Amino acid sequence: MGAIWDQFITLFTNVLLLIYNFLGHGENAFGVAIILFTILIRAITWPLNAQQLKGAKAMQDLQNDKEWQDIQKKYAKDREKLAQEQMRIYKDRGINPFASCLPTLIQFPIIIGLYQSIIRALAASPLGLLQLARSVYPFMNIAALVPLNSKFLWMDLGRPEGIPFPGGFTLSFLPYGFPTLAIIVALTTYLQTKLTMPPSTNPGDQTAAMNSMMSIYMPLFLGWLVLNYASGLAVYFVTSNVLGIVQYAMMGRVNWRNVLPGGGKPAPAKKK
Amino acid sequence: MKRFALILFVLLGAVLLSACSASAQSVSWPGLSADANNAYLAKGQFVYAVRLSDGAKVWQYPASGGSQIFDANPVLTPDGQLLAASAGSDNGLYSIDPATGKDKWSAPFTAPDHWVAAPLVLQDTIYAANNNGILYALKLATGEKLWSLPLGHSLWGTPATDGKLIFVPSLDHFLYAVDPQAQKIAWKVDLGGAAAGSPVVSTDGKTVYVSSSAKKLFALDATTGSIQWTANTTNWVWNAPALSGDTLFASDISGNVYSIGTVNGKNAWPVVQPDGPITGSPLAIQNGVAVATESGFIYAFDAHGAPLWNISVGGNIYTSPIASGNLILVAPLNADFMLAGVSNDGKQILWKFTGK
Repeated sequence: MGAIWDQFITLFTNVLLLIYNFLGHGENAFGVAIILFTILIRAITWPLNAQQLKGAKAMQDLQNDKEWQDIQKKYAKDREKLAQEQMRIYKDRGINPFASCLPTLIQFPIIIGLYQSIIRALAASPLGLLQLARSVYPFMNIAALVPLNSKFLWMDLGRPEGIPFPGGFTLSFLPYGFPTLAIIVALTTYLQTKLTMPPSTNPGDQTAAMNSMMSIYMPLFLGWLVLNYASGLAVYFVTSNVLGIVQYAMMGRVNWRNVLPGGGKPAPAKKK
Repeated sequence: MKRFALILFVLLGAVLLSACSASAQSVSWPGLSADANNAYLAKGQFVYAVRLSDGAKVWQYPASGGSQIFDANPVLTPDGQLLAASAGSDNGLYSIDPATGKDKWSAPFTAPDHWVAAPLVLQDTIYAANNNGILYALKLATGEKLWSLPLGHSLWGTPATDGKLIFVPSLDHFLYAVDPQAQKIAWKVDLGGAAAGSPVVSTDGKTVYVSSSAKKLFALDATTGSIQWTANTTNWVWNAPALSGDTLFASDISGNVYSIGTVNGKNAWPVVQPDGPITGSPLAIQNGVAVATESGFIYAFDAHGAPLWNISVGGNIYTSPIASGNLILVAPLNADFMLAGVSNDGKQILWKFTGK
């Protein structure tokens, strides 16, 4: 398993280096390589994300379905029977309840893999450089590639990001300075989750409640990651979030109401 | 179900990314040096003095672990100090009393970045090359900064000297020759690739030998930097070649061992590739050369490249083996011990030091 994972990281590393090499090794080249790599990953996983959207929409519609709501009430005290009925409805309507989870599960090894690839490519230590030298595919010229230019805009992509506080001021819990990227990542993650959340008219909608919870915890979690790990990962997150919003917009699924004050709450029943 | 998946996602992410982080761990292989009585091992949070006669611990520095990470070879100075450079967040260069393991300076010298290279001592000055690309000149007695000179990118190789110039390899592909009197660069040579290891200077001081990731070994005129010859190697000769008479023994990260003439740069040996990558410098022994491999072995060859002996030590050996008395000392990674004393005939491991 370890060897397979290492091959996965090696592949990622070489793709990153190939793009970096194509861009000419200059300042910002590695950051641009991460952005292009993210676009590549997004393009590859486009059908999966589209499937997730459809799955999420189908699940959301189900929450507002009369038959679904009826069985919730009817079998409220018989969980086994409720589960059987739910499975029947899924089957009858061709809904895969796990379809919306798959892209998230696929993205998980990509995030870990990308993080490890960035660290491996930047090779900030002798052990790291040795590992990189042995990871690079034979057709790549390691002598020309190393050392990589890790500068991107104001960041060193191999280190956590932070803009130093003025006057040498320091905070022990923010050792790298003001965490600009962590905030941007948290904001774009929040925006992406909110914008893609389907509207719900059912106050008891569990999926809507779950989405609402995710819209808070995921930005905090990703922001925390960026605060503590290489800023190259943040470049991936921001790019991926922006591309996600673009994809949802292109599919006509962006719900701008959700980011407005009071948006996303169940709509009150209309008076006749 | 989804709630559970989210919590699992968050927890797994935190654990796996934490495992990826190398911020509080060694990022290199151990450093090693020795005098007639003790070996000095820099590994992780400590520098250890280990008695050569039986492998017992004499002292460890500091007494309890802090933010230091010691990986560079500790350096014994002519005036009785042991210099230890830290790759930890303290960025400190420490002076230790080799007899007691106590601090000798009132405070360590701290740089803006960490240290990978061991310092060089010439007369009463320390020349320390930092990861930030700056060469620092310090007063030997106190560690006080005398001057500094920006060179380029990261400096990982221990500088060498011919007594006049300081030769500093850099990952930016250059070997810099620094004139310490003028405090400026006397010359620099493009090596075509990163130079992570140390250079070595001929005994007459006229030639500098250095390797780079361009899979080449260079012989340079020490005074002018002009290239006398280049020798092509199968892969990257990471560390300094070992000079023995008119032969340079070198080894690469594909595990090839070379015997290169200092005059013409020709390899005298057929393909000699014992077992596994070699990052440490070869060790010239009485009747040939010994190399330590990533596979945890020491292999010895005679002057013609014929095998003399080999011994399995264990772990992964990246550190250059060194000789002291009748011992060859090796410091592997990923082993259940830190240092081994091997008889110099390769017949047995006399002791292992575990840190206790």
